[in-house]
Amino acid sequence: MSRLYRAPILTALVAAAIFPAFATAQGVDDAMLKNPPRDSWPGFHGDYTGQRHSPLTEINPRNVQDMTLAWTHQTQQTGGIKSTPILVDGVLYFTVPDNIWAIDARNGRQLWHYVAPPNKAFHIGQRGVSMYKDKIYYMSSDAHLLALDAKTGKVIWDVVIADSTKGQWATMSPLIVHNHVLVGASGDFDNLQGFLKSVDPETGALQWTWFATPPPGTPKSTTGGNIWLTGTYDPDLNLVYFGTGNPSPVLNGKVRPGDDRYTCSIVAINPDTGKLAWGFQPSPHDTHDWDAVEIPVLADVNFHGTPRKVLMQASRNGYFFVIDRTNGKSLLTVPFGPVNWSLGVDKNGEPIPNPAKEPAPDGRLVAPDEGGLTNYRSPAFDPKTGLFLVSASPAYSLYFSKPADGTYGWSGADYTLWSTGVLDAIDIQTGKIRWSHDLGRRAGSGLLTTASGLTFTADASGNFLALDTATGKTLWHAGTGSSVSSNPITYELDGHQVVLTSSGSVLYAWTLPPHASGGAATHNGAAQK
Amino acid sequence: MSSQFKKTVAAVSVPVSALLLLLPGLLAQGPPPAGAAGAAGRARPAGGRSTVGSQGPLPEHAKFSAEQVDAGSTLFLQNCAFCHGKEAEGGESGPDLTRSKVVSSDKNGEAIGSVIRSGRPEKGMPPFSLGDQQITNLVAFIHSRQDAFLSQSGNRRGVEESDLHTGDAAAGKRYFEGEGGCTKCHSATGDLAGVASRLNGLRLEMQMLYPREGKQKIVVKTPNGQSLSGTVEYQDEFSLAIRDAAGNYHSWPTNEVSFKIDNPLQAHVDALSKYTDDDIHNVLAYVQTLK
Repeated sequence: MSRLYRAPILTALVAAAIFPAFATAQGVDDAMLKNPPRDSWPGFHGDYTGQRHSPLTEINPRNVQDMTLAWTHQTQQTGGIKSTPILVDGVLYFTVPDNIWAIDARNGRQLWHYVAPPNKAFHIGQRGVSMYKDKIYYMSSDAHLLALDAKTGKVIWDVVIADSTKGQWATMSPLIVHNHVLVGASGDFDNLQGFLKSVDPETGALQWTWFATPPPGTPKSTTGGNIWLTGTYDPDLNLVYFGTGNPSPVLNGKVRPGDDRYTCSIVAINPDTGKLAWGFQPSPHDTHDWDAVEIPVLADVNFHGTPRKVLMQASRNGYFFVIDRTNGKSLLTVPFGPVNWSLGVDKNGEPIPNPAKEPAPDGRLVAPDEGGLTNYRSPAFDPKTGLFLVSASPAYSLYFSKPADGTYGWSGADYTLWSTGVLDAIDIQTGKIRWSHDLGRRAGSGLLTTASGLTFTADASGNFLALDTATGKTLWHAGTGSSVSSNPITYELDGHQVVLTSSGSVLYAWTLPPHASGGAATHNGAAQK
Repeated sequence: MSSQFKKTVAAVSVPVSALLLLLPGLLAQGPPPAGAAGAAGRARPAGGRSTVGSQGPLPEHAKFSAEQVDAGSTLFLQNCAFCHGKEAEGGESGPDLTRSKVVSSDKNGEAIGSVIRSGRPEKGMPPFSLGDQQITNLVAFIHSRQDAFLSQSGNRRGVEESDLHTGDAAAGKRYFEGEGGCTKCHSATGDLAGVASRLNGLRLEMQMLYPREGKQKIVVKTPNGQSLSGTVEYQDEFSLAIRDAAGNYHSWPTNEVSFKIDNPLQAHVDALSKYTDDDIHNVLAYVQTLK
């Protein structure tokens, strides 16, 4: 099918007539987001589920050791790539803060490069752009949402989502659902109100805002709950799922008594109305900066013998949660690494924070550390093995807070004593870890699984890895000499599978060599079957 | 709860050099403003170049222009502030640079610039490929923040020596000699004699819980049957590098050698899942007596 992009126009027209689904192949529509074609990766997670599990099987455990480099693309920028590229109509779009590129997926050649105006905001990362119809949607570091013409990179509109001068900034890739562009922002160095906003993709007009917390200044109430990672979507239930960030002040919980809902929560929201359907709180009354924004992964599985629509999250606070996503009821809550801050789990499946582990003037030993047992690194779910794969970082740390640290922003201090990095394969039925692969130290890469039984990721030393999903054994690796802080993706191009990874400021496209069985490309450019 | 994970944790090799945080210099007395990370009130106080409390004279460094400091502040906000805080006072994961010995010993970017260019990969800090002028501007900003903090009175975020005297030294001694098993490797009159004179405050506590140490010792059996000992220079899943006693560098594919790493720090990792907070404070109180 993807021949369409390289074939003569006449052939394209014929192909379009034969495959009506591709007749309007320019851009992204609802059908594509719901069921991404094999030759696309049209949104942050690839599809709406957040599973990062691809149906592609050409590259498999038997031939992956032959996988070789097709091309690289060098951004020539100082900042490393943290974005997940999207692929639409043979063009890859990806970012680093203040920069968007459109490049040809066949060779890495640049089609256009957008550079944002200078701005005084945190430039800690940019996780990627989204696309709907013929427009690219980009959150700038200073929390504007921009729509750009996908063909040219020209800005069509630019709207302010949050006031960056007050301390909010943005990194997220917007979630597109029908005619809604859903965005949030970061900002827990200040006492601000976390939110999810829905914006009209055509005009940039605000459709609705859902606030996670009351306005700053509300007595005895928390602020925070910032939403800064892309959510997931269930088209049948018409609900979007997002995780919310930690409460503020961050380490001082005394001035915000109670659970501090809806901070550190998973929330289900109707994308057409902005109304909350249900909320579940992984960290009631958090005092350790454990945002629950980690990807809420959706799957339809047989859970303990019953077909279930589940939502799964490996949360920064160290717990793995399985929830019925129709109603928010808990199915499983279990720690997936060292956790010493809770008194157990309540009847709703929410952990009970131990007050003795709140930050104190003389310090408290807490596991995990502030970086969390996991974090922004996207997990993957392999339906065949029932394994939820997550880049984990067991750690111990000291947390301090005293009255002199105040009630604004951080309000304390914390120090990691020891940490390490492992890729854990969690059995979703029990929460038990079936295998664990040493990553050296806390690693930055997310995960990708494929239906052929492969897991793609990278270790903390900058080695790209392909593992056997069933066992965790390494089948292929390539050292890159820089650190990997992004999520791998895969797609089909010209009938052959490509794995796209990045390290430092370089994108790497991997394929099977032309001489391998079912080879990836021919050197004479001859037509393929 | 953590006990069920001990196996997982213990099974993982521990890179000794990893994750030891770049500890702030811990210049004894704390000054500065309360936690409010708000920008207001953070300006350099008017008046002379002097610190408050008993911090001694302000560190000596090159004179930087207001333009350099201003340009540096933008770069700092974009590249550094998430980890090190908007005012370099410590943030999500990076240390407080206003108390950093690297900063206070730096004159004109030679020390700070080197850390910026090379990063501290083992501690999670990436290298930054910035131009010389950009680095000078960052250095100017970081020095300006340290000067400002050292000159400010009032409270600040951070841990003071005086916060860390809540334990019972006698109970700590009992734990040290008994349940803690510390005497298997340590002695109050041997390796730890005078430790509290060399270190104090948070640095002493962190060193006690997970020591900052040099390289791991290793013995490698090479493919031709030779045995080589030295310290680990580099290790990942696929390659291993050591430096031998003569200073020579050797490396191999990991799967072509057998090797044994002596990691005395594993006992410290194991202890982290056993300590109560009282144990820690008591042992610290005891160690604080070892002057």
